Amino acid sequence: MTQTAIVEVAGLTKVYGSGAAEVTALDAVDLEVPAGQFLSVMGPSGCGKSTLLNLLGGLDTPTAGTVRIDGQTLGDLPDDQLTELRRRRIGFVFQFFNLIPVLDAVENASLPLRLDGARGAEATATGWLERVGLAGRLRNRPDQLSGGEQQRVAIARALSTEPALILADEPTGNLDSKAATEIGELLRQVSSEWGRSVLMVTHDPRLASFAQRLVLMRDGRVVDDVTLDGSREGPRQALERSGLL
Amino acid sequence: MTLVPTLAWRYLRGRGARSLLTTLAVVFGVMLTFGLNGILPAMVDAFTHNLLSAAGKVDLTVTSAYNQPFDPDVVDRLAGVPQIDTVSPGVQRTAPLPHEANDSADRLAQVVVVGVDVTSATSIHDFRLAEGRMLAAGDAATVVLNSDLADELGLRVGDNLVLPAAGGTSRFRVVGLLDEATLPGQEQVYLTLGAAQQLFGFGNRITQIEAVFTEGADRTATEQAVAAALGPDYQVGGLSTESSLLASLGVANFAFSMFGVFALATAGFIILNSFRTVVAERRRDIGMLRAIGMRRRTVTAVFLVESLCQGIIGTALGIVAGWAFAAGMFAVMAPIFESVMHFKVGGPLFTPATWVQSIVLGIGVTVAAAVLPARSAGRVTPMDAMRPQLGEVFERRVGHRAWVGVGVILAALFGLTSGAALLVGGGSVAFLVGIALVAPAVVNPVADWAAGPLELLFSREGAIARSNLQRNPGRSAVTVTAVMLGLASIVAMISMVTSIFAGFISYLDKSLSADYLVIPQSIILGQGNVAAGPRLAAEIRHAPGIAAVSSLRITQGKVDGTAVQVIGIDPDAYLKVAAFDWNTGSSDAAVAQLRSGRWLIANGIYAAQHSLVVGQAVRLETPNGIRTYHLAGIGNDYLNAKLSTLYASQTNLERDFNVTADVLVMANRKPGADPDDTRIRIARIVADYPAFRLYESESWRAEQMATFSQTIVIFDVLVAALALPSLLALVNTLAISVLARTREIGMLRAVGATRRQIRRMVMAESLLLSVIGTALGAISGLWLGYALVTAMGAVGWQMPYSFPWSGLIATVVVGLVFGVLAALGPARSAARLDVVAALHHE
Repeated sequence: MTQTAIVEVAGLTKVYGSGAAEVTALDAVDLEVPAGQFLSVMGPSGCGKSTLLNLLGGLDTPTAGTVRIDGQTLGDLPDDQLTELRRRRIGFVFQFFNLIPVLDAVENASLPLRLDGARGAEATATGWLERVGLAGRLRNRPDQLSGGEQQRVAIARALSTEPALILADEPTGNLDSKAATEIGELLRQVSSEWGRSVLMVTHDPRLASFAQRLVLMRDGRVVDDVTLDGSREGPRQALERSGLL
Repeated sequence: MTLVPTLAWRYLRGRGARSLLTTLAVVFGVMLTFGLNGILPAMVDAFTHNLLSAAGKVDLTVTSAYNQPFDPDVVDRLAGVPQIDTVSPGVQRTAPLPHEANDSADRLAQVVVVGVDVTSATSIHDFRLAEGRMLAAGDAATVVLNSDLADELGLRVGDNLVLPAAGGTSRFRVVGLLDEATLPGQEQVYLTLGAAQQLFGFGNRITQIEAVFTEGADRTATEQAVAAALGPDYQVGGLSTESSLLASLGVANFAFSMFGVFALATAGFIILNSFRTVVAERRRDIGMLRAIGMRRRTVTAVFLVESLCQGIIGTALGIVAGWAFAAGMFAVMAPIFESVMHFKVGGPLFTPATWVQSIVLGIGVTVAAAVLPARSAGRVTPMDAMRPQLGEVFERRVGHRAWVGVGVILAALFGLTSGAALLVGGGSVAFLVGIALVAPAVVNPVADWAAGPLELLFSREGAIARSNLQRNPGRSAVTVTAVMLGLASIVAMISMVTSIFAGFISYLDKSLSADYLVIPQSIILGQGNVAAGPRLAAEIRHAPGIAAVSSLRITQGKVDGTAVQVIGIDPDAYLKVAAFDWNTGSSDAAVAQLRSGRWLIANGIYAAQHSLVVGQAVRLETPNGIRTYHLAGIGNDYLNAKLSTLYASQTNLERDFNVTADVLVMANRKPGADPDDTRIRIARIVADYPAFRLYESESWRAEQMATFSQTIVIFDVLVAALALPSLLALVNTLAISVLARTREIGMLRAVGATRRQIRRMVMAESLLLSVIGTALGAISGLWLGYALVTAMGAVGWQMPYSFPWSGLIATVVVGLVFGVLAALGPARSAARLDVVAALHHE
């Protein structure tokens, strides 16, 4: 790892419940993500990948361990500062797109900027929407857009504040394969062209193949960490090697 | 627009039908608050306007504080006040027009006879003649009146107008017609002062002085100077603000305000419920907004601004609707007031206070109701953005809140039994809030109890409906509470109205139990009815077939500067033909006590307003000075149930007030006397007194009951207006409940439920919810009604509690019908759900 790390995770542990009902979702995970890297996380359901994402985004608090995003330790921050960090340094892309149904594409994409009180929020958002290929759909509301288009709006929204890190949770879980491929290419472009780190959780090996690096998890632990070469078969082979397929 | 208002406004618009339903609740609440409060000031205004001299440039009117004629030397004392420019003495009294058996019911019953000092009156008033001439100073039997009034009476110049006089009738020749429009209730005929004094048997006494100020005189200072010059026996201005009729209007205002408060409380609850559901539905939106960096307080602000928009729109529409409502009420009430009270009411009148109160309450209640849901929205975590949308997520902690509810109910009981109007109002709202808090804890047991008949009606669907309902008692309680709140306030209001009317009817039956009543043509005593000399009662007493005769005499006195009506009764004869409805601790012995010196009976309103107890001394100001009376008892009679009244013996009335004329004569038939013969004999006697009319008690009672029925229409309109928010609440919560379970309904369809079964299930659920809501509403409404009736007694309107059977049955029927009606739309849309879309519903 030669570049500056955007994500630094050490001994990250998350335990839910107590006594007999205790479940260790994440067990002493260490991870670093350099600037501009596209990292994919895979593993069976319940392996802890979503928990990892939630902890990285400051959406949940760890039982033990530390998370540093862009040099800032999340555990030390009060709610308002954590909220501000999410707004400025992290972009989220959700499985269900999570667009506000009553706002159009530009308004949705400009939300974080407007929350930040930034000038020219709509112009910036429009620029990003054009870059993700939605120049013709700027004033459409979510119910007037296809699933793939809605996810593009969500990606434009995530990029609008120029964050260091994009966290994507099953971003193609609700899309057909053609739209999923397009989103995969777009996310690769986010890291390769626009220099953002992308950490994506997915079940889809084809989507994972767009990433530069693959982390495999099982039972709350990292079981493998491989560099991908762009081949569509890379993730599947890695899963087989780790006995996850 | 900045982000928060943009989001709030877009969400509000995006919710469409549901925004409309919840906003309508605010509209109805504000409509009632604003509309009802617009009615009372208009009535006071009409009343004042009708009593004060309206025409001409009169600045000030002086009348006797005891409503009696007074010596003309007062004119000189008034003229001596420096700021007074012109004075004009006069006589003004209502005189009934001779009544004939074949007259139609809407024929003019009375006129206001105005005796004017021709020289001074023509300098103050502008008498524009259309025909003939004005009165001349020396005229003895001439009259001038408005041309339209003359048309109504069928009179022309040269004809004779017949008016009743103390000793029979007098005829006046019409010499001139005035070119002025007559206001209903202000049908005036003008005589010379001397002629009017002779007509009413006043000698040289007058009843009023009109005055004009000097140029630039200050009104307040002049009124004070006049009051100081004339002393406490004279009233400056016209209507005393302490008038007991105004006090009665104040009580009506309190009841009106309660209607508005109940409607707004229901609206508040609908809004609370609506926002809670909205927060549940928008959890993922909120979670995302939090994830991408929206602060908690910004999330809360979005919801508060949304409610603010709703409050502003609802209040604005409510004010428009309230204006229309008040105008509609006036259209219904005006004819009743004109026929019963003989005064004209104009349109609604909205004071600045009414505007402020309606705006503050409308917007305030809406925003306040949204505070709790908005705060809970602020607590939604960003994690919620990651989860699939849940159908419904609010489940109440039942036990904890129920205990809080019990505490609130206990506090409400204290307020309701305190007797203070403010605490009673607050207590009644708190009581409903308490019941709302307890509701979730009782939904399941009550559902068990009510489900039996339901399952008979709806079989399997009924059982599913019950389990739907019991699975989430929190959600069920919301609907139940909405129904309960609406119906409880209706039952309480019906209880009050029923009790008020039952009280009047009971006074009517008890206090006017005589076989024959000889009464003036307006039922309110002391409003200038011409009195009869003692001869009328004496003649009736000596008629064959008559057993007992008693009369009422009337005057006005003051206690501690406040006017009070004093009625003179004959203690020896009164109880033979009439009765009092005694308050606890008083009995017929009080009437006998009136014989032995200066003793009084007070009616309930007066005793309550002045906290009087039996035996207490009352310093009564009379035309002959202050006299100390003692209170012998507290009781009510029908005619004076609405006015502060004291009863004294006729002997004392003559001694202290110089009053000897009767305004009402009651008589009983001898056992065995022929009813027809007796009636004909009395009718012959009464025929010589055109001011009076003979009634047999049954026909008089029937006439009064007809007036009640007309008045009840007004209350029916009010209750119906109050029922509308309940219907909205039910439709709203049911629609929300169906919407929240779209996925569940889709699943039921997927596993084989037919459309008909889904429809029946939703219908059964709605019916079960409304049965529970109606039962709770009826019980709490009955109790609340009882408490309010008792509380009204404490503020002076003592009335027996009357169980509102018909109102209760009507309410139960309305509750159940609402339950079915409210379910029609949601049941249809649930049955029509596309299964696949429903299963994927977010």
